[in-house]
Amino acid sequence: MRAVVLDGIVLGLAFGLLGVGMTLVYGLGGVLNLAYGQIVVLAAIVISLLMEDGVATVQAAVVGVLAAAGVAVLLDLTLMRPVYREHGEERTLLGLLLTLGAAFVIGGLLAWRYPAGALYIFVGGDPISVIGVPMAVGSIWASGIALAVAAILLLFFGLTTFGRGVRSVIQDETGARLVGINPSFVRTVIFALSGALAGVVAIAQSMNGPLTVNAGFELTTFALIVTVVGGLGSVAGAFLAGVLLGVVNALSAHYIGQYITTIILLGAAALTILIRPRGLLGR
Amino acid sequence: MTDTERTRRLPLARIGWAFLPIAVTAAVLAILPTVWFGDSPYTTSLAVQALVFASYGVGFNLIFGSTNQLFLCVGALAGVGGYGAGILANESTWPMAAGLAVGTASAAIVGGLLSWIAVRRSLGIIFTGIVTLVFSLGFANLLLGQRDLTGSETGLIVDGVPDDLADDSVGGYYLFAGLLVAFLIVFRLLQLSHVGWAFRALRDDEVAAELAGVNVSRYRIYAATLGSAMIGLTGALLAYSAGFISPATYSFDRVDVRVLVMVAFGGLGTLLGPVIGAGVFAVLDERLTASLELREVLYGVFVIAIFLFFRRGVVQAFVGLANRLLGRRTPLQLSRD
Repeated sequence: MRAVVLDGIVLGLAFGLLGVGMTLVYGLGGVLNLAYGQIVVLAAIVISLLMEDGVATVQAAVVGVLAAAGVAVLLDLTLMRPVYREHGEERTLLGLLLTLGAAFVIGGLLAWRYPAGALYIFVGGDPISVIGVPMAVGSIWASGIALAVAAILLLFFGLTTFGRGVRSVIQDETGARLVGINPSFVRTVIFALSGALAGVVAIAQSMNGPLTVNAGFELTTFALIVTVVGGLGSVAGAFLAGVLLGVVNALSAHYIGQYITTIILLGAAALTILIRPRGLLGR
Repeated sequence: MTDTERTRRLPLARIGWAFLPIAVTAAVLAILPTVWFGDSPYTTSLAVQALVFASYGVGFNLIFGSTNQLFLCVGALAGVGGYGAGILANESTWPMAAGLAVGTASAAIVGGLLSWIAVRRSLGIIFTGIVTLVFSLGFANLLLGQRDLTGSETGLIVDGVPDDLADDSVGGYYLFAGLLVAFLIVFRLLQLSHVGWAFRALRDDEVAAELAGVNVSRYRIYAATLGSAMIGLTGALLAYSAGFISPATYSFDRVDVRVLVMVAFGGLGTLLGPVIGAGVFAVLDERLTASLELREVLYGVFVIAIFLFFRRGVVQAFVGLANRLLGRRTPLQLSRD
């Protein structure tokens, strides 16, 4: 039981990390980035290619994160421009459709060029005992990364001037503009941040197990579920929802079965939308 | 048109014109096998696939194009119809017609329920999209999990199918061609009736429509139920005609994305949009023998291009251009909405 819950928390932190990049972009501009999972995969492929060429893991990881951020900025500067000219539902819908298209382009190109591409960062060492449960070193690393990212993001949005500027745009775009904040610039930075987070996701996920080239759609789906349950635009909500869903996932996978588990997760997302559309910590 | 009241409101000539596109489509579909592919089972099955997607498209068009409900579960609804019919055919001795009826009714009920939930909780277009997407994924998992009934990934062989309706025979082709033409007639009849006026009103401006006395919620549920019934019937017929179904037959990435691209290409909310879209993409599929992944890339590029530059559909853009060149104002008012 303790082992299962702990597994769930590890998984949940990974979910939270996955959701936070999507939730930030949505909170800021009302765009659900459906290409998010494909950007994660892109980072993974870049890292794995560099590692095959003999580049050290840490350097390869940094380049991978930068590449993901670069692609995200590219998306923002091209596809997202016409999206941000729209308002309200029109904007969200157009963003949804265009990023869906981008997801197919990125995912298709990667699957075509690197059909067997996969990233697995192996972290050696004997299992470490956490409250009496032996945990793989890779899982502990992945969870540590997720916790560190959560802490940094919360500090960034709570304490720095730019972080507060971002929050002001989330609350009220026009108001932010009136006090001298350039929403367009803020959005580009957050898109880059979201891309970099996708890169971090790739690293953390591949420490638990191989991340294959076809994982994009599934990653996007889980990010979407976490985002919806946690509340669109809330960093803390994404991690809270991630851990909750992770524990539910682990418990039901252990006691009921895997197919039902996915249905339970999906049901949780649907229920959240129906009962509390704002999500757990949404505005 | 037996309804005298309707005839009084719309002159007979105009009604004739309104059905002309359908007559032309039917004629083209009727002669296509003899002039093009008659003897090749491979090409026939491609054509049948195009017809199936065009039929899905008409249903989707009714739901999304007419009443702005983003149903990202076309594949799942077709699957409800297909698996409903297929399981019934295998577990009982009921005839094909009963299987079709059960499949269609199940899909209609599921679609109506989804729409009812969306309307009751006043979910916007996005949340409707997410809920229906979640339903799609849940349904796919259900198919995989219920191994005894659905055969999981291995698929399900559907018995009791007359051979001359197989999906690579000319009989199968005419079956689906007839289905498509029937759907188009229903679609056009709806457009000409008071329902069509309500659809147009609520699509242009929901609040204004509500204020003008249009019961927006009710018409949304109507559209979703009828559209889902069309999708379910198509899926059920496909199950019988193909004789074999698997989760891939109705999966999100195989069905929904294609339908969305085709309908958007042809023009959302237009009568012939789904037909034109399905036709163009069938030809593309036949010509592009490149890998599956590259085809995916191409679909992505199409989605982006369509929604960036041709928001009202490629066909509409060409009609508009032609009219501007000829110095006419848009005369195709009826076929546009």
